[in-house]
Amino acid sequence: MKDSTRTALLVGVRTLVAAACVALVVVERKTIGWGHLGIMLLALAGLMALLASYNRRYQ
Amino acid sequence: MLACLLPALVLFAVFMVYPTVNVFRMSLYTWSGFSPDMKFVGLDNFRHLIDDEQFVRAFQNTVTLLVVVTAVTMGMGLFLAAIMTRQKLRSRNFLRFVLYIPNVLSVVVIAAVFSAIYDQNNGLLNSMLRLVSLDSWQQVWLGDQKVVLYSVGIAMVWQSLGYYMVLYMSSMSSIPEELYEASGLDGASATRQFFSITMPLIWQNLRTSLTFFIMSAVNLSFVLVRAMTGGGPDSSSEVLLSYMYKQAYTNSSYGYGMAIGVVIFAFSFLVSLLMSRATKREPLQF
Repeated sequence: MKDSTRTALLVGVRTLVAAACVALVVVERKTIGWGHLGIMLLALAGLMALLASYNRRYQ
Repeated sequence: MLACLLPALVLFAVFMVYPTVNVFRMSLYTWSGFSPDMKFVGLDNFRHLIDDEQFVRAFQNTVTLLVVVTAVTMGMGLFLAAIMTRQKLRSRNFLRFVLYIPNVLSVVVIAAVFSAIYDQNNGLLNSMLRLVSLDSWQQVWLGDQKVVLYSVGIAMVWQSLGYYMVLYMSSMSSIPEELYEASGLDGASATRQFFSITMPLIWQNLRTSLTFFIMSAVNLSFVLVRAMTGGGPDSSSEVLLSYMYKQAYTNSSYGYGMAIGVVIFAFSFLVSLLMSRATKREPLQF
Protein backbone atom coordinates (compact mmCIF):
# COMPACT_ATOMS: atom_id res chain seq x y z
CA MET A 1 0.00 0.00 0.00
CA LYS A 2 1.26 3.47 -0.88
CA ASP A 3 2.29 5.73 1.97
CA SER A 4 -0.19 8.45 1.03
CA THR A 5 -3.08 5.94 0.88
CA ARG A 6 -2.10 4.50 4.25
CA THR A 7 -1.95 7.98 5.81
CA ALA A 8 -5.34 8.94 4.35
CA LEU A 9 -6.85 5.69 5.62
CA LEU A 10 -5.39 6.25 9.09
CA VAL A 11 -6.74 9.81 9.23
CA GLY A 12 -10.17 8.56 8.10
CA VAL A 13 -10.28 5.79 10.71
CA ARG A 14 -9.16 8.15 13.49
CA THR A 15 -11.81 10.72 12.52
CA LEU A 16 -14.50 8.03 12.50
CA VAL A 17 -13.44 6.65 15.89
CA ALA A 18 -13.37 10.16 17.42
CA ALA A 19 -16.85 10.93 16.04
CA ALA A 20 -18.13 7.57 17.33
CA CYS A 21 -16.75 8.28 20.83
CA VAL A 22 -18.42 11.72 20.97
CA ALA A 23 -21.69 10.23 19.62
CA LEU A 24 -21.51 7.46 22.24
CA VAL A 25 -21.21 10.04 25.03
CA VAL A 26 -24.21 12.00 23.71
CA VAL A 27 -26.37 8.88 23.23
CA GLU A 28 -25.51 7.22 26.56
CA ARG A 29 -26.28 10.38 28.49
CA LYS A 30 -29.98 9.95 27.69
CA THR A 31 -30.32 6.99 30.08
CA ILE A 32 -29.32 7.31 33.72
CA GLY A 33 -27.30 4.48 35.25
CA TRP A 34 -23.84 3.34 36.29
CA GLY A 35 -23.53 1.12 33.22
CA HIS A 36 -24.26 4.03 30.90
CA LEU A 37 -21.85 6.26 32.83
CA GLY A 38 -19.22 3.52 32.47
CA ILE A 39 -19.67 3.49 28.70
CA MET A 40 -19.37 7.30 28.64
CA LEU A 41 -16.12 7.10 30.60
CA LEU A 42 -14.86 4.43 28.20
CA ALA A 43 -15.66 6.74 25.29
CA LEU A 44 -13.71 9.52 27.04
CA ALA A 45 -10.80 7.10 27.53
CA GLY A 46 -11.10 6.18 23.84
CA LEU A 47 -10.73 9.82 22.83
CA MET A 48 -7.62 10.15 24.98
CA ALA A 49 -6.18 6.90 23.58
CA LEU A 50 -6.75 8.30 20.09
CA LEU A 51 -4.88 11.46 21.03
CA ALA A 52 -2.05 9.35 22.47
CA SER A 53 -1.85 7.23 19.29
CA TYR A 54 -1.68 10.41 17.15
CA ASN A 55 1.01 11.80 19.42
CA ARG A 56 3.08 8.58 19.64
CA ARG A 57 5.17 9.17 16.53
CA TYR A 58 6.31 12.57 17.82
CA GLN A 59 7.53 11.31 21.20
CA MET B 1 16.79 29.74 50.51
CA LEU B 2 14.16 28.18 52.78
CA ALA B 3 13.50 31.57 54.40
CA CYS B 4 12.66 33.00 50.96
CA LEU B 5 10.27 30.17 50.23
CA LEU B 6 8.65 30.17 53.66
CA PRO B 7 5.94 32.85 53.12
CA ALA B 8 4.78 31.15 49.90
CA LEU B 9 4.89 27.72 51.53
CA VAL B 10 2.84 28.92 54.52
CA LEU B 11 0.21 30.49 52.24
CA PHE B 12 0.12 27.33 50.11
CA ALA B 13 -0.29 25.14 53.17
CA VAL B 14 -3.00 27.32 54.76
CA PHE B 15 -5.07 28.01 51.63
CA MET B 16 -4.44 24.89 49.53
CA VAL B 17 -3.19 21.88 51.49
CA TYR B 18 -5.31 22.30 54.65
CA PRO B 19 -8.68 22.86 52.85
CA THR B 20 -8.00 19.96 50.47
CA VAL B 21 -7.10 17.58 53.31
CA ASN B 22 -10.18 18.85 55.18
CA VAL B 23 -12.44 17.96 52.23
CA PHE B 24 -11.14 14.37 52.39
CA ARG B 25 -11.55 14.29 56.19
CA MET B 26 -15.07 15.75 56.17
CA SER B 27 -16.20 13.20 53.58
CA LEU B 28 -15.94 10.59 56.36
CA TYR B 29 -18.41 12.42 58.65
CA THR B 30 -22.10 13.30 58.68
CA TRP B 31 -22.53 16.95 59.58
CA SER B 32 -25.24 19.49 58.83
CA GLY B 33 -22.68 22.25 58.41
CA PHE B 34 -23.94 24.34 61.38
CA SER B 35 -24.42 22.14 64.44
CA PRO B 36 -21.49 21.12 66.68
CA ASP B 37 -22.46 17.43 66.22
CA MET B 38 -20.20 15.62 63.82
CA LYS B 39 -20.47 11.86 63.53
CA PHE B 40 -17.77 9.68 62.03
CA VAL B 41 -19.37 7.29 59.52
CA GLY B 42 -16.34 5.97 57.63
CA LEU B 43 -17.10 5.33 53.96
CA ASP B 44 -20.91 5.50 54.38
CA ASN B 45 -21.17 8.72 52.36
CA PHE B 46 -19.43 7.01 49.44
CA ARG B 47 -21.77 3.99 49.77
CA HIS B 48 -24.76 6.32 49.51
CA LEU B 49 -23.29 7.80 46.32
CA ILE B 50 -23.63 4.40 44.62
CA ASP B 51 -27.41 4.38 45.17
CA ASP B 52 -27.90 8.07 44.37
CA GLU B 53 -29.43 8.42 40.90
CA GLN B 54 -29.10 12.21 40.95
CA PHE B 55 -25.36 11.86 41.47
CA VAL B 56 -25.06 9.50 38.49
CA ARG B 57 -27.07 11.92 36.34
CA ALA B 58 -24.87 14.85 37.43
CA PHE B 59 -21.76 12.77 36.64
CA GLN B 60 -23.13 11.89 33.18
CA ASN B 61 -23.92 15.55 32.49
CA THR B 62 -20.42 16.59 33.58
CA VAL B 63 -18.77 14.01 31.28
CA THR B 64 -21.00 15.09 28.38
CA LEU B 65 -20.13 18.76 28.81
CA LEU B 66 -16.45 17.91 29.25
CA VAL B 67 -16.29 15.91 26.01
CA VAL B 68 -18.58 17.99 23.79
CA VAL B 69 -17.53 21.47 24.94
CA THR B 70 -13.80 20.61 24.90
CA ALA B 71 -14.01 19.09 21.40
CA VAL B 72 -16.01 22.01 19.98
CA THR B 73 -14.04 24.79 21.71
CA MET B 74 -10.60 23.39 20.92
CA GLY B 75 -11.56 22.44 17.34
CA MET B 76 -13.16 25.78 16.55
CA GLY B 77 -10.44 27.70 18.38
CA LEU B 78 -7.71 26.03 16.31
CA PHE B 79 -9.65 26.40 13.07
CA LEU B 80 -10.43 30.10 13.58
CA ALA B 81 -6.87 30.83 14.76
CA ALA B 82 -5.44 29.13 11.66
CA ILE B 83 -7.80 31.05 9.36
CA MET B 84 -7.11 34.39 11.01
CA THR B 85 -3.35 33.88 11.08
CA ARG B 86 -2.77 32.38 7.63
CA GLN B 87 -5.46 34.19 5.64
CA LYS B 88 -5.02 37.91 5.39
CA LEU B 89 -8.59 38.82 6.27
CA ARG B 90 -9.47 42.50 6.21
CA SER B 91 -11.65 42.35 9.28
CA ARG B 92 -9.18 40.20 11.25
CA ASN B 93 -8.69 42.62 14.15
CA PHE B 94 -12.41 43.32 14.41
CA LEU B 95 -13.25 39.59 14.45
CA ARG B 96 -10.59 38.93 17.06
CA PHE B 97 -12.01 41.74 19.21
CA VAL B 98 -15.59 40.48 18.84
CA LEU B 99 -14.66 36.89 19.67
CA TYR B 100 -12.55 37.92 22.66
CA ILE B 101 -15.23 40.10 24.32
CA PRO B 102 -17.07 37.19 26.05
CA ASN B 103 -13.90 36.35 27.96
CA VAL B 104 -13.81 39.82 29.50
CA LEU B 105 -17.43 39.59 30.65
CA SER B 106 -18.40 38.05 33.96
CA VAL B 107 -19.81 34.53 33.67
CA VAL B 108 -22.99 35.72 35.42
CA VAL B 109 -23.43 38.43 32.76
CA ILE B 110 -23.00 35.75 30.07
CA ALA B 111 -25.63 33.64 31.82
CA ALA B 112 -28.02 36.62 31.80
CA VAL B 113 -27.31 37.30 28.10
CA PHE B 114 -27.98 33.68 27.14
CA SER B 115 -31.08 33.47 29.34
CA ALA B 116 -32.43 36.41 27.34
CA ILE B 117 -31.41 34.81 24.03
CA TYR B 118 -33.10 31.52 24.99
CA ASP B 119 -36.31 33.16 26.29
CA GLN B 120 -39.26 31.14 25.08
CA ASN B 121 -41.46 34.02 23.87
CA ASN B 122 -39.30 37.08 23.27
CA GLY B 123 -35.85 35.49 23.04
CA LEU B 124 -33.56 36.22 20.12
CA LEU B 125 -33.26 32.58 19.09
CA ASN B 126 -36.96 31.75 18.85
CA SER B 127 -37.69 35.15 17.26
CA MET B 128 -35.05 34.47 14.58
CA LEU B 129 -36.51 31.03 13.92
CA ARG B 130 -40.00 32.56 13.55
CA LEU B 131 -38.58 35.20 11.20
CA VAL B 132 -37.15 32.57 8.83
CA SER B 133 -40.33 30.45 9.03
CA LEU B 134 -38.70 27.65 11.05
CA ASP B 135 -41.42 27.74 13.72
CA SER B 136 -41.23 23.98 14.26
CA TRP B 137 -37.58 24.35 15.40
CA GLN B 138 -38.58 26.59 18.28
CA GLN B 139 -37.81 25.14 21.70
CA VAL B 140 -38.10 25.97 25.36
CA TRP B 141 -34.30 26.05 25.35
CA LEU B 142 -33.84 26.17 29.12
CA GLY B 143 -37.01 24.25 29.99
CA ASP B 144 -36.75 21.13 27.84
CA GLN B 145 -34.88 18.25 29.50
CA LYS B 146 -33.49 17.07 26.16
CA VAL B 147 -31.85 20.33 25.10
CA VAL B 148 -31.13 22.27 28.30
CA LEU B 149 -27.62 20.85 28.83
CA TYR B 150 -26.60 21.69 25.26
CA SER B 151 -28.02 25.20 25.67
CA VAL B 152 -25.66 25.63 28.64
CA GLY B 153 -22.86 24.03 26.58
CA ILE B 154 -23.27 26.63 23.82
CA ALA B 155 -22.87 29.41 26.40
CA MET B 156 -19.69 27.68 27.65
CA VAL B 157 -18.25 27.50 24.13
CA TRP B 158 -19.13 31.16 23.48
CA GLN B 159 -17.41 32.21 26.70
CA SER B 160 -14.19 30.27 26.11
CA LEU B 161 -13.71 30.29 22.35
CA GLY B 162 -12.16 33.77 22.00
CA TYR B 163 -9.60 33.22 24.73
CA TYR B 164 -8.26 29.97 23.25
CA MET B 165 -8.37 31.39 19.72
CA VAL B 166 -6.22 34.37 20.74
CA LEU B 167 -3.88 32.00 22.63
CA TYR B 168 -3.36 29.83 19.53
CA MET B 169 -3.08 32.88 17.28
CA SER B 170 -0.19 34.21 19.33
CA SER B 171 1.63 30.85 18.99
CA MET B 172 0.91 30.59 15.27
CA SER B 173 2.10 34.15 14.63
CA SER B 174 5.54 33.29 15.97
CA ILE B 175 6.09 30.48 13.42
CA PRO B 176 8.58 31.69 10.77
CA GLU B 177 6.94 32.43 7.41
CA GLU B 178 9.84 30.72 5.56
CA LEU B 179 8.61 27.31 6.72
CA TYR B 180 5.27 27.86 4.97
CA GLU B 181 6.97 29.32 1.87
CA ALA B 182 9.32 26.33 1.58
CA SER B 183 6.54 23.79 2.03
CA GLY B 184 4.38 25.73 -0.44
CA LEU B 185 7.15 25.43 -3.05
CA ASP B 186 7.20 21.68 -2.41
CA GLY B 187 3.48 21.58 -3.18
CA ALA B 188 2.03 21.23 0.33
CA SER B 189 -1.62 22.20 0.63
CA ALA B 190 -2.97 24.46 3.40
CA THR B 191 -4.30 21.39 5.28
CA ARG B 192 -0.94 19.62 5.01
CA GLN B 193 0.85 22.76 6.23
CA PHE B 194 -1.52 22.95 9.20
CA PHE B 195 -0.92 19.35 10.30
CA SER B 196 2.80 19.17 9.46
CA ILE B 197 4.00 22.64 10.45
CA THR B 198 1.47 24.53 12.56
CA MET B 199 0.30 21.72 14.84
CA PRO B 200 3.76 20.37 15.79
CA LEU B 201 5.08 23.87 16.44
CA ILE B 202 2.22 24.98 18.69
CA TRP B 203 1.88 21.59 20.39
CA GLN B 204 3.23 22.65 23.80
CA ASN B 205 0.74 25.50 23.89
CA LEU B 206 -2.07 23.19 22.75
CA ARG B 207 -1.15 20.62 25.38
CA THR B 208 -1.12 23.11 28.24
CA SER B 209 -4.37 24.75 27.18
CA LEU B 210 -6.11 21.37 26.80
CA THR B 211 -5.16 20.27 30.31
CA PHE B 212 -6.11 23.67 31.68
CA PHE B 213 -9.44 23.69 29.83
CA ILE B 214 -10.50 20.33 31.26
CA MET B 215 -10.12 21.66 34.78
CA SER B 216 -11.73 25.03 34.04
CA ALA B 217 -14.66 23.42 32.15
CA VAL B 218 -15.74 21.61 35.33
CA ASN B 219 -15.74 24.94 37.23
CA LEU B 220 -17.31 26.98 34.44
CA SER B 221 -20.17 24.52 34.00
CA PHE B 222 -21.07 25.01 37.69
CA VAL B 223 -21.33 28.79 37.47
CA LEU B 224 -23.36 28.73 34.25
CA VAL B 225 -25.69 25.97 35.45
CA ARG B 226 -26.19 27.76 38.76
CA ALA B 227 -26.96 31.10 37.08
CA MET B 228 -28.98 29.84 34.09
CA THR B 229 -30.99 26.81 35.21
CA GLY B 230 -30.23 26.08 38.88
CA GLY B 231 -29.78 22.45 37.78
CA GLY B 232 -33.31 22.13 36.38
CA PRO B 233 -35.70 21.27 34.93
CA ASP B 234 -35.99 18.19 37.15
CA SER B 235 -32.18 18.05 37.67
CA SER B 236 -31.60 17.43 33.95
CA SER B 237 -28.82 20.05 33.78
CA GLU B 238 -27.27 19.25 37.14
CA VAL B 239 -23.47 18.90 37.06
CA LEU B 240 -21.22 17.44 39.76
CA LEU B 241 -20.20 20.76 41.31
CA SER B 242 -23.75 22.14 41.40
CA TYR B 243 -24.95 18.89 42.98
CA MET B 244 -22.17 19.06 45.55
CA TYR B 245 -23.10 22.67 46.35
CA LYS B 246 -26.77 21.71 46.65
CA GLN B 247 -26.04 18.84 49.04
CA ALA B 248 -23.51 20.75 51.18
CA TYR B 249 -25.22 24.14 51.48
CA THR B 250 -28.91 23.73 50.58
CA ASN B 251 -29.59 20.22 51.81
CA SER B 252 -27.32 20.64 54.87
CA SER B 253 -25.53 17.33 54.13
CA TYR B 254 -22.03 18.75 54.37
CA GLY B 255 -20.25 15.40 54.73
CA TYR B 256 -22.12 13.94 51.76
CA GLY B 257 -21.29 17.06 49.73
CA MET B 258 -17.61 16.62 50.57
CA ALA B 259 -17.77 12.98 49.44
CA ILE B 260 -18.98 14.29 46.05
CA GLY B 261 -16.11 16.80 46.23
CA VAL B 262 -13.63 13.94 46.63
CA VAL B 263 -15.06 12.24 43.53
CA ILE B 264 -14.80 15.51 41.55
CA PHE B 265 -11.20 15.97 42.74
CA ALA B 266 -10.25 12.40 41.77
CA PHE B 267 -12.02 12.61 38.40
CA SER B 268 -10.55 16.01 37.39
CA PHE B 269 -7.10 14.99 38.57
CA LEU B 270 -7.20 11.67 36.70
CA VAL B 271 -8.50 13.14 33.44
CA SER B 272 -5.95 15.99 33.52
CA LEU B 273 -3.13 13.55 34.31
CA LEU B 274 -4.12 11.17 31.50
CA MET B 275 -4.49 14.07 29.07
CA SER B 276 -1.08 15.38 30.04
CA ARG B 277 0.46 11.90 29.52
CA ALA B 278 -1.35 11.37 26.20
CA THR B 279 -0.09 14.65 24.75
CA LYS B 280 3.49 14.54 26.08
CA ARG B 281 6.21 15.03 23.46
CA GLU B 282 9.64 16.61 23.00
CA PRO B 283 9.34 20.36 22.35
CA LEU B 284 10.36 21.44 18.83
CA GLN B 285 12.74 24.36 18.39
CA PHE B 286 12.51 26.77 15.46
